[in-house]
Amino acid sequence: MPMPPRAKHLWRYTPWPRIQPQDGVPVADKIVFTVNGNNNLETGAPRVVLESDIARVFLSEIGGSSHTLNIEGDVGLVHIQARASGHVAAGHLHINCKGNSTVILHLTGEADWSGLYISGAVADNCKLAYGFINELSNNCKLLHCEDWSVARDSTMEIAALSVGGFRCKSDVRTTLTETGASLKQAVTVHGLGARHIDNHIEINHKVANCNSKLVINSACAGSSRSIATGLLKVAEGANGTDAGQVFRNLLLSDKARADSIPELEVLADEVKAAHGAASAPVNPEQIHYLMSRGLSPQQAEAMIVEGFLIDAFSCLTDTDLKDVLATRMTIHLECELKR
Amino acid sequence: MSEEILNISNLHISVEGTEIIKGLSLTINKGEVHAIMGRNGAGKSTLANALMGHPAYSIESGEISYNGRPLEELEVFERARAGMFLSFQYPSVLPGVKVGTFLKKSIEAVRGEPVKQKEFRTQLKAAMQLLDMDRSFLSRYVNDGFSGGEKKRLEILQLVLLQPTLAMLDETDSGLDIDALRIVSKGINQVAPQAGCLVITHYQRLLDHVKADYVHVMIDGKIVKSGGPELAHKLEEQGYDWLEADA
Repeated sequence: MPMPPRAKHLWRYTPWPRIQPQDGVPVADKIVFTVNGNNNLETGAPRVVLESDIARVFLSEIGGSSHTLNIEGDVGLVHIQARASGHVAAGHLHINCKGNSTVILHLTGEADWSGLYISGAVADNCKLAYGFINELSNNCKLLHCEDWSVARDSTMEIAALSVGGFRCKSDVRTTLTETGASLKQAVTVHGLGARHIDNHIEINHKVANCNSKLVINSACAGSSRSIATGLLKVAEGANGTDAGQVFRNLLLSDKARADSIPELEVLADEVKAAHGAASAPVNPEQIHYLMSRGLSPQQAEAMIVEGFLIDAFSCLTDTDLKDVLATRMTIHLECELKR
Repeated sequence: MSEEILNISNLHISVEGTEIIKGLSLTINKGEVHAIMGRNGAGKSTLANALMGHPAYSIESGEISYNGRPLEELEVFERARAGMFLSFQYPSVLPGVKVGTFLKKSIEAVRGEPVKQKEFRTQLKAAMQLLDMDRSFLSRYVNDGFSGGEKKRLEILQLVLLQPTLAMLDETDSGLDIDALRIVSKGINQVAPQAGCLVITHYQRLLDHVKADYVHVMIDGKIVKSGGPELAHKLEEQGYDWLEADA
């Protein structure tokens, strides 16, 4: 497959050579998935490869583990640990939701390069709240793609917490396939040191009367860089669409950088589609307020950063999802503050 | 003998090169409530913000000692840890920071040690009962979407929990209805006997609930008149014109 040109929106900020593990297709170790502490996932997962996308084709070719999680009825909270070890590790998990559940996927490990592909479908009248936590070791590269479809009168909430890895590219695409489908998506990024985090979020309104909301909050310190590209597609005839995208960046040092590029591709007539982006340093009035309550400048900044990142989850309604991700965020930041 | 908490001598403060406070002197002892009144732009809030160490305010000359120590030696957070508290006129909004978390971290920062959850809950419950506040407040984000009255109540909740040695209240009564004013005053009165209080206000009505030992009038960056509570009544009736003529 030819290398994608940098002129393409998707590969402008993290060109393919910077995120692939090596030239050619290496043999990958398996990412090990455990569910609530057990290895009780179904082996095998349906592959639907987008032939035009090099990342998905690569993840399909590289192999690794392959599993399916089936959700039927009210399942409650499901914790999935995904562990990436060795030089190159890869895995694919498919989530088939025919009920109501909150699924948390927690990626950890020290693999030099990890390739993770998540796919899933939310059936009619179902609800899935899905959280992805990237806590890979600090020197890891991650290529991460997700493809979701949400059916009639179904609700999906996606929350992502990116605090691990050295260079990460995530490409998450969700298609609202039938009337009444709803998506709420929140992404938080904490950039430290020289981390490079690239998030591409694509939301595709195929039919009429669906709604979606996307919030991406990035806090960048050191010489880290966060890139967030959002593409909202509203197909011809998808009238009654209500969609919004908000990108916010908090810059914590002079060398930190954040790029936010929301894009709209609207082919329907009766559509609400809002988007906005803002970047700013920490508000000195907030720092002063917290210092006047006894917090040191470092403690004050940490509290503001934590609040800023957690605030992205305000657009979600699933309490378990919000609590788990907020707790992980707090633990991560407290560890960083003690370093 | 009275225990001196704050002593200000011939203080001059400027903001972006413009002198706002022009030679102000004031002493506050433990257990005393000092009310400062004056027209908009007289320099009341400048005084409070400068005392708390806001970086926008430059102390050009004069001396301030807090508990016998030069105030300039202390960073903002050290002032708070040393017992200074400012109830802000416009407190900052902190999206994503829950009130409960914020209060606990503030108490721990001021005390310099972790606070046990049970002890925190007990103190918090008592303070919230005093101020007639609902527990749902704790899970909201600090000042995010709060009404003016809610913001002021949260400031006073912090005052009660942090138990400062010097409490400065910058127009805490503005935007409060009659009932809220009474409740907020309860909080101030609980702290006042153990602290020195500097109450900045435009209205006599707060002083109906919080008994001021001294009332000072500021005009153009100076205290032009000091007196007892009767001075606030006179201001309420006659305004500031009679003092401006003297000044």
